[in-house]
Amino acid sequence: MAYSDKVLDHYNNPRNVGSLDKSSADVGTGMVGAPECGDVMKLQIKVNPATGIIDEAKFKTFGCGSAIASSSLATEWLKGKTVDEALTIKNTDIVNELALPPVKIHCSVLAEDAIKAAITDYKTKKGVAVEAGALAVH
Amino acid sequence: MITCWQCKKELEKGLFCPSCNALQSPPTDYFTFFSLPRHLSINIEALQAKFYDLSRKLHPDKYSRKSETERANSTAATAVLNDAWRTLKNPITRAEYLLAQSGLEIGEQRSKDVPPELLDEVFELNMALEELRHGDQSAKVELATAREKFQAMLAASDADLENLFVKHDAESCPPALAAIRAVLNRRRYITNLIRDVDKELS
Repeated sequence: MAYSDKVLDHYNNPRNVGSLDKSSADVGTGMVGAPECGDVMKLQIKVNPATGIIDEAKFKTFGCGSAIASSSLATEWLKGKTVDEALTIKNTDIVNELALPPVKIHCSVLAEDAIKAAITDYKTKKGVAVEAGALAVH
Repeated sequence: MITCWQCKKELEKGLFCPSCNALQSPPTDYFTFFSLPRHLSINIEALQAKFYDLSRKLHPDKYSRKSETERANSTAATAVLNDAWRTLKNPITRAEYLLAQSGLEIGEQRSKDVPPELLDEVFELNMALEELRHGDQSAKVELATAREKFQAMLAASDADLENLFVKHDAESCPPALAAIRAVLNRRRYITNLIRDVDKELS
């Protein structure tokens, strides 16, 4: 099975590898894994508090080329979107963009899960932060 | 009613006709094949004795002068026998087999069965492995410690499995199967990691 040129490009030059400050209130972290292949994927977003737009996205993936390419592509797509827009990214979009074969579709699913997990983490943090603020006022 | 292909008399369960002793077409289900209840705790010595006994009784060499039907049944039964023994003798493959039959295949689901704290550990360990591959020898100590921790986790999962097997056999309940699947998933993750660490440290 040959990887598509786009997968190879992301694999050889992954975009946005790295990490953001997990403890920052503006950062959401998603950590997902696939027991079957042993892959583990960390994806982080940093939301600009003034605009609500994701201005930074980073990932680190241990796994196959398709998993790395899927998460690399996901971080590219995340930047410039609002959190709600980011939730509309579907694994099928990643499959189409990277021309993933059927046996690698689960890699794109993992990337979608990672996006959702990162956003959930961000929203949870914001929810907690708002409550804490309200408590402080009282 | 199922009848013997040779004497047409009614069959009981079992590989051989009780009337004419002709070898029948074998069941494909491994538990049925060994006449075992669908239990996860198995007496391995008894199963092995049965395996050896059936290996002799079903061997194709014994059927070389028999009818074409019996020769075909012998080949088919020997194939099922070997697959069944290989699958059932190992507690992990045995549980995976039962899960697959219950529509709970391993690997068809996603991260939901993996506890988040394990993912963090997996991630950290992978980071250390990468550092070592890039020549950072200090990662070796970290990896050796991690290996011990993961081996302890593996032993703990095996103990969990044993308890869950007993629970499953007592109640045959789906919750036990779901819990078993979760443990098997965790276990697979851990064994992959230990394999990777062993490769780097050897």
